[in-house]
Amino acid sequence: MTFFEEQLEQGIFQISYCKNCNNTFWPPKEICYTCDKKIDWKESKNLGKIIEFSKKDSTYFGLIEIDDGIRVLGDISCFNEPKIGQSVKMTVSFHNKPHYSFIVENN
Amino acid sequence: MNEVAIVGTGQTKFSKENDDIEKLLFESANKCIQSTKNCNSDDIEGVIISTNDNSKYLGAILSETMDIQPKISHSIEHLCSSGTNAIISAYAYIASGLSDLVLVSGVDSATNPGQVLEWDKSRGDLEHPIYWASMLTKLHKTKFQTTEEELAIVSAKNHKHAMDNPLAYSNEPRTVSEVMNSKQITDDLRILDCSRSCSGSSSILLASKEKARKISEQAIWITGIGQKTTSASFTKNILEEIKSTRIAADFAYKMAGIEPKLIDVAEVHDAFSVCELMAISELGITAEDESGKFIRDLFNTENRMINPRGGLIGAGHPLGATGISQTIEITNQLQGKSEKRQIPNIETGLIHNMSAAGTSSSVMVLKN
Repeated sequence: MTFFEEQLEQGIFQISYCKNCNNTFWPPKEICYTCDKKIDWKESKNLGKIIEFSKKDSTYFGLIEIDDGIRVLGDISCFNEPKIGQSVKMTVSFHNKPHYSFIVENN
Repeated sequence: MNEVAIVGTGQTKFSKENDDIEKLLFESANKCIQSTKNCNSDDIEGVIISTNDNSKYLGAILSETMDIQPKISHSIEHLCSSGTNAIISAYAYIASGLSDLVLVSGVDSATNPGQVLEWDKSRGDLEHPIYWASMLTKLHKTKFQTTEEELAIVSAKNHKHAMDNPLAYSNEPRTVSEVMNSKQITDDLRILDCSRSCSGSSSILLASKEKARKISEQAIWITGIGQKTTSASFTKNILEEIKSTRIAADFAYKMAGIEPKLIDVAEVHDAFSVCELMAISELGITAEDESGKFIRDLFNTENRMINPRGGLIGAGHPLGATGISQTIEITNQLQGKSEKRQIPNIETGLIHNMSAAGTSSSVMVLKN
């Protein structure tokens, strides 16, 4: 397992970035392609907004933008139909694959 | 740069069954060589395989099976657009003078591993293409007031075209109403909006001008090529557009020295119904807010200009073979050999093949 995956398993979404070049890498990388140095990690704030969504069976899913413009696909939990631009809170896990879940705030 | 012609074609039937890929490869390659007069296996200088299958050394295996000892042989994998990428590589070998005659054979099985890109961590566990396709469809409906009926017409039209394609996996007619009432996969996608992974193989033979004159009486010329990759991750895409297609088309039109209005026939990558609507606007064939109306008009007038083979939705999608099959259709159309599917009086055709939610696109222009 990679460090990113191990951290997901712990419920932490780690963002790889280069302090030197101020670049964020997504999907995560180990080395900065600009300066060739090992990247640093920072924890996501776990907040995002909905870019687009749809629904499969009874579960909403969507494209969510989190820190530094990083976008991921994940499930969306909400009482009412979500809206584009709505704020969401992220939780993550890892069971063979990454899993990203979002809860609509103030829904 | 040497001019490059298509001088031979061969295909298997596409099927939902999981056929043996070596058997399929041999069948399509053999038909391809037999389709070309005065061509023997030992004339072939290059063998390129297009596949997502994990089998090793298929270029050499097909060569040995066909009794070919090529100067160049290898495999190419680029997910759903592996086929056109293999043709583009063969083009480059011939145009550069490295080779005069190259066989390009694409193949995949119905359960091929190319449907999921595990590297793309941004998709989480929502890896299947239905997730991005649903969001593209929802956005198209919202932004361009595209109706459910217009989306269903794409599928009904392509199934109708496939009925006249004996190699298509589906020969069942599907009415607009049947598509609209087919099983709901997500709120924005129905099962008949989706292309289906199939097994199948398609082969094509490319030749230099000098070689083409010797072995073909009806060569078709590749006059324009464009390929653009904008990313590998789906989530780097802007959902409103397929930027890679627009840029690849621009390259191809410039190389061919033509405008989109000169395209008489096109095979476009309808992995899902919405992809056909987005593709024809990114290719400049119609305005982006008129793509639904454009397809409706084609359907109502029985004009087969877009996806006469049945597209991916009607013909099936054996990933590594798809781009080659699309190219064969346009070749046959320009040769006047498409029988019931033939579009009359045509000179210029286009192929559009893409990968992974349009993160990479290939466009080719052919002329007779």
